[in-house]
Amino acid sequence: MIDEIQTVWIRYNLTERTIEHLQIFTIALLLAIAIGVATGLLLYRRRRYSPPVFSTLNAVQTFPDIALLILLIPLAGIGTVPTIIACVLYSILPIARNTYTGLISVSPELLEVGRAMGLVERDILIKIRFPLAFPMIAGGIRIAIVFTMGIVTLGGIFGAGGLGAPLQTGINLMRSDIIFVAGIWVGLLAVILDGIAGGIEAELKRRFGSW
Amino acid sequence: MINRLIDPDEGSISINGTDITSIDEILLRKNIGYVIQQIGLFPHMTVRENIGLIPKIEGWSRDRIEERVKELLTLVHLPPEIFMDRYPKELSGGQQQRIGLARALVMDPPLLLMDEPFGALDPLLRRQLQDEFIAIKENIGRTIVFVTHDINEAFRLGDRIAIMHEGRIVQVGTARDLILTPADPMVAGLVGSEHRYRHLENLTVQDIMLPVSEISVLEASTSISSAIGLMTDAGLEVAVVSDGTSIQGIVRLPDLLRVGQHSETIGSHARSPLILRPDGTALSAISGMKADGDVCALVMDGEELLGIFTPDEVLRRLV
Repeated sequence: MIDEIQTVWIRYNLTERTIEHLQIFTIALLLAIAIGVATGLLLYRRRRYSPPVFSTLNAVQTFPDIALLILLIPLAGIGTVPTIIACVLYSILPIARNTYTGLISVSPELLEVGRAMGLVERDILIKIRFPLAFPMIAGGIRIAIVFTMGIVTLGGIFGAGGLGAPLQTGINLMRSDIIFVAGIWVGLLAVILDGIAGGIEAELKRRFGSW
Repeated sequence: MINRLIDPDEGSISINGTDITSIDEILLRKNIGYVIQQIGLFPHMTVRENIGLIPKIEGWSRDRIEERVKELLTLVHLPPEIFMDRYPKELSGGQQQRIGLARALVMDPPLLLMDEPFGALDPLLRRQLQDEFIAIKENIGRTIVFVTHDINEAFRLGDRIAIMHEGRIVQVGTARDLILTPADPMVAGLVGSEHRYRHLENLTVQDIMLPVSEISVLEASTSISSAIGLMTDAGLEVAVVSDGTSIQGIVRLPDLLRVGQHSETIGSHARSPLILRPDGTALSAISGMKADGDVCALVMDGEELLGIFTPDEVLRRLV
């Protein structure tokens, strides 16, 4: 059993594939965080735009990921770039929505005290709203991690490399051993990353959460 | 409204003669300490960071902030080394409220706004914090606008009390003014004027003494018979005996009547009475007199005679 796993692992370069996979994942996630937090912040500043923007992002979310990757072929071809684009498109919503919600749902007393102390709006945003929104934002990122993990794998089937590639090979050769090893490994990775994210989220809640 | 979180629909608010709408609101707020019932400590900041927030924005050095935080924690009776680096959720309600007060004082504001700061605390703790508040109030010597729904808290803590009703100030005055001369039935009902005897603790000796203008000061050389005459005519039970420059004591009508020799002077029968300070509470004065078995005390401010304090008079005024 272990021998068989080892054979598949070495034969299909799963170590390099894992590194490749995590690279795509990291780039996609960082972009999604940057764009998602920025979107949430912009919508917080221009609240009346939030319903249409969130509706649009919701619509993107309901779109099947395979269909999205196929639709991106004429725009971005196949490979890493369309995969990252798809990841980001899916991940903006949870991050942006949680950022927005976190920023607007700070308790009114704290805001009143902040204003009464003589803090200007910018200070209130940076020193009060943002830190208090951290746990919420972390929750959004955690959801995005799970999405991104799935889409990067799917993207691998469409030529992006990563752990999707051996899966594709397994499907083509009808080799269930490759599919098993690569599939379970991707699943395990997702669980591990989600666990780490969950730990960070809990710590942020402890540190920045209201009580 | 005083710190312009809300702007007035009409009328104006002035601080030391300056209309507050003409002051930059951020500057105004930095000069007004603010404490609210919900306390509003920032949960993501330690005690040190909560208190030091505005100084940090103002660009104080770390050392200066630390020193100021320690000073304030000591003022509110929380040992700095224990509390400085705790988070608000690690503190009890009373401790949090003290931190709230310390934070409001950090910039040494000339004015403090306190909006029902003790409202959410249990009665025992509230009482304790009120006592501490009175001590701190004397220490810092600042104007404090203190909002409360508890009239007894107002009496206990306030020097001047403004009664607000339906957006208007109905009456402004000391506890004595409100209890003895309420402006309207609403104020009377609020302060419980019909139960004035309950307010012994809220009134000072000076509030309910018989003032010097309503009592007789007799020369020590007056004979007992003429003193009896004078006092019965004036309807007085007690008179103060003076030798012209200083107070010799007091004489009571029943005592004088008991003396056989009406030709003696009252000076030889004057008794030295209990002396009360004008600003003590009526309640403590009465308990003191009861303990000593005195029926009459002189109210003196240093060398100056202000009046006489007798439980009879207190009863007459309050019931």
